[in-house]
Amino acid sequence: MTTTRPHASGSLQLVSLASAALILLPLGYVTALALSADLAVWQRLWATRIPELLLNTLSLAGTVSLLTLVLGISTAWLITRYEFPGRRVWEIALVLPLAMPTYVLAYVFNYLLGFGGPVEQLWQSVAGPHARIFSPQSLWGATVVMALDTFPFVYLLTRSALLSMNVSFEEAARTCGLSRARTMFRVTLPLLRPSIAAGTALVILYVVSDFGAVSLLRYQTLTYAVYQQMTGRSDNTAASILSILLVALALAFLLTERWFRHKSRFYQTTGRYRISQRMSCDGLTTSWITAYLAAVVGASFGIPASLLIHWSLSPEAQAILDARFFGFVWNSAVLSTLAATAGVTIGLPMAYLASRKPTWLNLGCLQAAYAGYVLPGPVAALAVLVLVLNLTPFMYGTAIVLVIAYVLHFLPVGLQSLEPALQQITPNLEEAARTLGVGVRDTWRRVTLPLIRNGFIAAWVLMFLQTMKELPATLLLRPVGFDTLAVRVWLEASEEYYQLAAPSALLIVLVGLPALALLLSRDWRAA
Amino acid sequence: MATDSQSPRAGTKQLGSQADLYAPASPILELRSVSCAYEPTRPAVRDISFSAREGEILCLLGPSGCGKTTILRAIAGFEPVRSGEIFLSNRLVSSSSGTIPTEERRIGMVFQEYALFPHLRAADNIAFGLGHLARPERERRIQEMLQLTGLEGLDRRYPHELSGGQQQRVALARALVQNPVVLLLDEPFSNLDPDMAGRMRLDLLALLRRMKTTAVLVTHDHDEAFAMADRIAVLNHGVLEQLDKPEVIYHLPATPFVADFVGQADFVTGRIQHGLAHTELGEFPNTLGSAEGTSVVVMIRPDDVHLIPNTSAEPRIVARQFRGSENLYAVRLGSGQIIHSSARSTSVYSEETAVEVRIAATHTVLFPADLISPQTGGDTDSPASRAGTGPG
Repeated sequence: MTTTRPHASGSLQLVSLASAALILLPLGYVTALALSADLAVWQRLWATRIPELLLNTLSLAGTVSLLTLVLGISTAWLITRYEFPGRRVWEIALVLPLAMPTYVLAYVFNYLLGFGGPVEQLWQSVAGPHARIFSPQSLWGATVVMALDTFPFVYLLTRSALLSMNVSFEEAARTCGLSRARTMFRVTLPLLRPSIAAGTALVILYVVSDFGAVSLLRYQTLTYAVYQQMTGRSDNTAASILSILLVALALAFLLTERWFRHKSRFYQTTGRYRISQRMSCDGLTTSWITAYLAAVVGASFGIPASLLIHWSLSPEAQAILDARFFGFVWNSAVLSTLAATAGVTIGLPMAYLASRKPTWLNLGCLQAAYAGYVLPGPVAALAVLVLVLNLTPFMYGTAIVLVIAYVLHFLPVGLQSLEPALQQITPNLEEAARTLGVGVRDTWRRVTLPLIRNGFIAAWVLMFLQTMKELPATLLLRPVGFDTLAVRVWLEASEEYYQLAAPSALLIVLVGLPALALLLSRDWRAA
Repeated sequence: MATDSQSPRAGTKQLGSQADLYAPASPILELRSVSCAYEPTRPAVRDISFSAREGEILCLLGPSGCGKTTILRAIAGFEPVRSGEIFLSNRLVSSSSGTIPTEERRIGMVFQEYALFPHLRAADNIAFGLGHLARPERERRIQEMLQLTGLEGLDRRYPHELSGGQQQRVALARALVQNPVVLLLDEPFSNLDPDMAGRMRLDLLALLRRMKTTAVLVTHDHDEAFAMADRIAVLNHGVLEQLDKPEVIYHLPATPFVADFVGQADFVTGRIQHGLAHTELGEFPNTLGSAEGTSVVVMIRPDDVHLIPNTSAEPRIVARQFRGSENLYAVRLGSGQIIHSSARSTSVYSEETAVEVRIAATHTVLFPADLISPQTGGDTDSPASRAGTGPG
């Protein structure tokens, strides 16, 4: 017994350290590449591309966060403070846009808002035959698409903050002589501030690292530029410099989000509290609310999804549902299975060590694993590519490179399910098993694993589904002729073959729904 | 059952006239036959009437779920009334036909969990309702309140940086700084540890007296009610059982529930014969005026029972509970009934000691025997005996 224990945890330690190294090494290579670049390259980029890219990226982040704030807060307020027929249905429907990858929404809006598209026709029938609307391939087009896709982040965080808010705060304000409206501005909204800020930071993080929408809408952001440098010019050095900039930007918003989330804990009441009662609505109010929610959900999910179904049923789309199409499905499934399995295998020892032996080293390994959060897809691809070209060039162009990039990119998603699952079981249970004469390995098998089974499965499924819809890393690293569903959607949509892209897109959305259910069941608080 | 639901001042009649000396013609707060709508989640209250005079501290006392908080929230305007009226400073604020919003009632409230705004510093919390004042005046009032509540130097802290007692004082300052017509306190001491609660009680009482604040305090702890209140309203199942001065509530409870809830009580059965209530502990005056031959019960408090060791006596000591300042004895009478006696902590008798039981009561409280249910009949699990083991 005395020899097993150090041995077992020693090998775990080794796995954990190796995984952390695997994750940090590519990052290190990219950083080294960027820093060792000729000063002239830096100067050239600063003089030409960077100001424009930064401006584009930040203005998109700004406009999207404004629009998501309006959409997210208003919908969360209506859902939590009013009682009307169908409220519960809308409460869930408002989350559905998250199941739609940005490139799918972008391609649908390319058609909807495009030249001679349905929205323009509608507008011309009102405003005259020569009236024009804004092009989808502009800041405003990208803003609409990204905001409709990401407002659920703000909605979810605001909603749960409103649900867990103690109504005594508002009542105390009333006893201090404030009216209902002033109470909202002086107490309720300030109390929501950390949650709203966390949601907004999440949205911005998403916008900054998005590739799908901006590439289809041809809007130049940093992430898109990294991709272009790698493909169009094959200039990995320039790409790495842009990547460093991008990672710094993403890191800033990630830390902002963490800080506000931490701060919001002070704003929650522990112990007993009462929640606010919903106001019941008359017929007129109900129809206004329903119309608004229907417009939001319709634009972000309903209309795009119906269009995808409509296109998938067209003869052109039916014609491509052949063996080749199922080959793409098979490719996606195999890659996702490999990535998810590798991810949980690497993630579990890290999460276990960090929760049971929170030493500096183990916590550091875990934090390293979260690095994927600030790596936009093209950057993750670049990092792995640079590493493989330098260390193991024979692996270049194989699926292994892809799987490594996926693990690097999506390990945080898996850890977010594994970590709470491990934290929820008290070490006492494992210690109890040990006092009953069961060894380390058997304790794992008979106590720990059965208890964390749900978190383990959730981690696997989430990583599987995220990989399924991953686009930029796949585009950059896939072996020649090896296409996945996401790649097919993007390729067809780039050529504006709307019908041909539809079946793959529809499949991705359908597969995304269970992932959404899984994510929500974790912290969905029914009122 | 309720002796007081008709006239708010009925209780003071039997007590003597001292309280009436400063009774003005119109009370600050008056409830007339208030009933609140029943919701599954909240206790209903029925036909509650009482009033509070200026500067008076009134306690709503009762077990959890008795509706005391509902009454407080109805006064604050958070709870609509189904029937009856609530008056604040002679202004009708709540009735079945309408409710004046909370912010126009000029009430102050201290919430059970304080509800300090977490995004504001202590001073800003206190200043929250003072937006209508000019800055220097506001500053002056805040400083005055900080000083009165002993919060000097803590004004820049956020609520989560304050201890429980400090948080409570900020909540109190926030309510008092507006000079409310009436201050409402919802279980203000329940989140503090007992030592702290005792000190805060004294501080609060002194502060309320100094500012001559009319206050309504909700509590489930009879010691707290005794220590704080000018008058106590005892509630049970949404009905007002008795409203009176603390001494009267304790010594002359109107119902067996009140007798049992505000302190330990035993109920000894007896029968009216020759104009006296005959029990195995002796004769008591027939204060009920019951007819000859009716069954009654006599309420006995442990402090009225004295034990004298006497080997020829029938009652036996069955248990002793040491409480520091006193010993609480359980004594089995000849009939098998258990009664309790508190004795000095220095007089220690062992179990099975035969004792003679003497009753030296200044007040005699009789109830018709059919009012006593087994629940209130002095079994050791009743709420009063549990509360009786608390401090004080």
